[in-house]
Amino acid sequence: MPTVSITVNGELRSAEVEGRTLLVHFLRDHLRLTGTHVGCDTSQCGACTVHVDGVAIKSCSALAVACDGASVTTIEGLAVADQLHPMQQAFHENHGLQCGFCTPGMIMSAIDMVRRNGHDLDEHTIRTQLDGNICRCTGYHNIVRAVQAGAAAMRER
Amino acid sequence: MHAPATSTRIGQPVPRKEDLRLITGKGRYTDDMNLDGQAYAVMVRSPHAHALIRSIDSAEAQAVPGVLAVLTGFDFIEDKLNPIPNKTFSMHPAEMPLINFDGTPAFNVSDYPLPADKARFVGEAIAMVVAETIAAAKDGADRVVIDYEPLPCVTYTVDAASPDAVRVRDEHDNICIDAQVGDAEATAAAFRSAAHVARIKTWVPRVAGSPMEPRAAVGDFDAKTGRYTIYTCSGSTLRLRRDIAIVLNVPEPHVRLVIRDVGGNFGTRGAIFPEQPLVGWAARRVGRPVKWTSERSEALLSDYQGRDLAVEAELALDKDGTFLAIRGSNVGNLGSHTGNFSMVQKGVEIMSSIYRMPTAHFRARAVLSHTAPTRPYRSSGRPEVIFVMERLIDLAARESGLDRVELRRRNLILEAELPYKNPFGMVYDSGAYHKVMERTLELADWRGFAERKAEARKRGKYRGIGVANYVDTATGIPREKAELTVHANGSVDVVIGTVSNGQGHETSFAQLINEWLGVPIDKVRLITGDTDIVTVGGGTHSGRGMRLGSIVIWHASNKIIERGKQVVGLLLQKSPGEIAFSNGLFVAAVGGQSMTLSEVAGAVTSRTDLPPELRGPLMAECDETINDAGFPYGCHVSEVEIDPDLGNVEIIRHTTVDDVGRAVNPLIIHGQTHGGIAQGVGQALLEHCFYDASSGQLLSGSFMDYAMPRADVLPFFTTEISEVPSTTHPLGMRPAGEGGTTPALGVVINAIVDALSDFGVTHMEMPATPERIWRAIRGKPQRSRIVPDAVEQQISLT
Repeated sequence: MPTVSITVNGELRSAEVEGRTLLVHFLRDHLRLTGTHVGCDTSQCGACTVHVDGVAIKSCSALAVACDGASVTTIEGLAVADQLHPMQQAFHENHGLQCGFCTPGMIMSAIDMVRRNGHDLDEHTIRTQLDGNICRCTGYHNIVRAVQAGAAAMRER
Repeated sequence: MHAPATSTRIGQPVPRKEDLRLITGKGRYTDDMNLDGQAYAVMVRSPHAHALIRSIDSAEAQAVPGVLAVLTGFDFIEDKLNPIPNKTFSMHPAEMPLINFDGTPAFNVSDYPLPADKARFVGEAIAMVVAETIAAAKDGADRVVIDYEPLPCVTYTVDAASPDAVRVRDEHDNICIDAQVGDAEATAAAFRSAAHVARIKTWVPRVAGSPMEPRAAVGDFDAKTGRYTIYTCSGSTLRLRRDIAIVLNVPEPHVRLVIRDVGGNFGTRGAIFPEQPLVGWAARRVGRPVKWTSERSEALLSDYQGRDLAVEAELALDKDGTFLAIRGSNVGNLGSHTGNFSMVQKGVEIMSSIYRMPTAHFRARAVLSHTAPTRPYRSSGRPEVIFVMERLIDLAARESGLDRVELRRRNLILEAELPYKNPFGMVYDSGAYHKVMERTLELADWRGFAERKAEARKRGKYRGIGVANYVDTATGIPREKAELTVHANGSVDVVIGTVSNGQGHETSFAQLINEWLGVPIDKVRLITGDTDIVTVGGGTHSGRGMRLGSIVIWHASNKIIERGKQVVGLLLQKSPGEIAFSNGLFVAAVGGQSMTLSEVAGAVTSRTDLPPELRGPLMAECDETINDAGFPYGCHVSEVEIDPDLGNVEIIRHTTVDDVGRAVNPLIIHGQTHGGIAQGVGQALLEHCFYDASSGQLLSGSFMDYAMPRADVLPFFTTEISEVPSTTHPLGMRPAGEGGTTPALGVVINAIVDALSDFGVTHMEMPATPERIWRAIRGKPQRSRIVPDAVEQQISLT
């Protein structure tokens, strides 16, 4: 079995994995980082979104071995000490989550949206660029508000 | 946007306590649970909608490295385990009883979690492979050889009700219940005198509730004590434990059920599902914990599905538009199990909604078919019949030439007429039905619509607006219990039998404690979902979490205060009547000496000079059976724009006013409404569990085929809360979880039909896909690949 070495949330982690192991299973099963979720298996729902070398990807669609040597950030790696990331804070303040299952993926996608588009996100941009993340609880209303607020707050960080 | 919370008491939009763990990846969903030595289960599911199981050969699967066991229905029966029990009716006393018109009992048969005789839907679990890893279990599952003899099947609701339909159960035809409710004679007479009659034949198709967390269960068995522990996601605790114990054939205390974070429910995991007892059984067989986690395609095949109601209905009006009577026939599709008849119980009893209706008569049937079992899905039965009622009113407006808003005004029940008994015997409590509708119309700027419509037409778009009122019946398991313990450090433990599936109980229940006991919300610990701690309670369904939870927490809080007053009176040498309690402080009326709640909690456990009856932990419980129903109601207005070249619908605005009686946390309530609207809009425009009629294959088997609503199909919503206290609830509360969905189907379709009225379109079946709209605009039959011709033509039910 191949060995992969991935820097996860700033820490170098190595493990022997089957070649067919997906990045999401490497994170969940080998590292027990269970904040990254699997919601659909067909890369539709985005619950598994993580950042690889600073860019959001769906970790159900990448093999762990393909990420060998990369730097991965998961939802567990966003808060610094007790200080929430502005996007996490915005989801809390705007009630951008209910059951919370899609939330880690939403937050990781939202942060990447800011990287791509800057801090002034209009409703249309947020809605169209969130189409790879499915939520069943919120009707997206408060998620869109949260992303807007979080994007603005990230400027001040 | 709501003004920020100014306190953490009842009525304040307090941001949620549970968020902190959920936004940092520390949620505890079932699949996050890992036990030492755990093995993994994969289900082998039927590829046939209906087939005899001739034999199962597991030799090759057993030989796969890592495979520990291959278990089948034959093993299950050999181990003397039981089929899954059904609870087909709501026995709630406020509910309309449903009985067969010929007096015979309804047909109810229990199904095994792994059947050994026949497969009865595509995706039914037939065997279970347990292995060291998921990959090995999958490899094993590929090698299980099941010798099926495929048989003809029936999937569509109306087809399944036909007397010569293929039977799902050999021993009985597909019709499990055939009831007649209301007054046939009076209704017929009313129709004879009618000046106008509006008619509809429609089918509210089947949808998949699809919580984002796939179902999962982890089973553990302690051979020394003979005790099972099942970790899973569910809307119920004690009822689920009882059902699992029945299936595993052990006394209830031999099962411990643990529910932590649940990633959504909406009814799809309200009842026991086969894999919950199966992982326990497998753990006993292999001597190790066993985990099963559904994949999304499995979920679409085998989660309990929702809706699927075929309706034929007529509304009689006099020449002025006053409603005289409603009649018709509802056929609900149960899928392959006689699981729950709610769709024709709740789905008939409020057929007349909140309109004055002198008389009514309905036939209600629930039928089996070779499809996945259905269960109550968010607001079970009510969105279907509110859709029918609100469509009938718009059709009646068209037929009579009367204005559709005026028609509603003329027939909405007045405040002075409440409580009002509807023709099915349901008694609505209180409400300001007119005020709520007028307020919704105002918020939505109904009067300014003509201008917006003209403006849209200049851009080549067709704009439409719709309105729908609704009422919900909230019943459910009537018994609930709260146990409160105040600790000397000022914290309070609340043990309760409800369970949050995302509704924020940790926050809203803590607000109750803050209101009544003055304890800060971060010092309130809500303990639910573990049957080793929780002894009584009904879980979360039918708007019962806060509705019943608040009553038992309130009564238990009052008991704490009463006992506190006795203790304080004794210690301050006053009578308990001279002690007042507010904001966590007991104060003597004369003298002004005081003790805090935490000081009292300390005193009762440390002082030896108190009489024995006042000594011991400061705790109180309330265990109550509450037989009153709740009747949340409200009004929605939806405005849409249609591109006539493409048939695309854009929802421009969606405005709601929902009466919750008394709002505990408006932030959470608005969130519930937003999500509810999205589920209703999803059904109206996008979603459909599509079964191929000839093969019974589910063709919407992944999120690439099953159209979930995404952020770009919805607008920002305008939601407003109305608070007319409910007279059936001691604190005036009404549930808030289903109002977003209940009228959404009707209001969106009414808006679409309005937009298309210039094309002569009078009705639109769901989902209103671009293809269907495009056809309707061009005067073609609405039939599409979505609903086969045959089915639309066959919707004739009387």
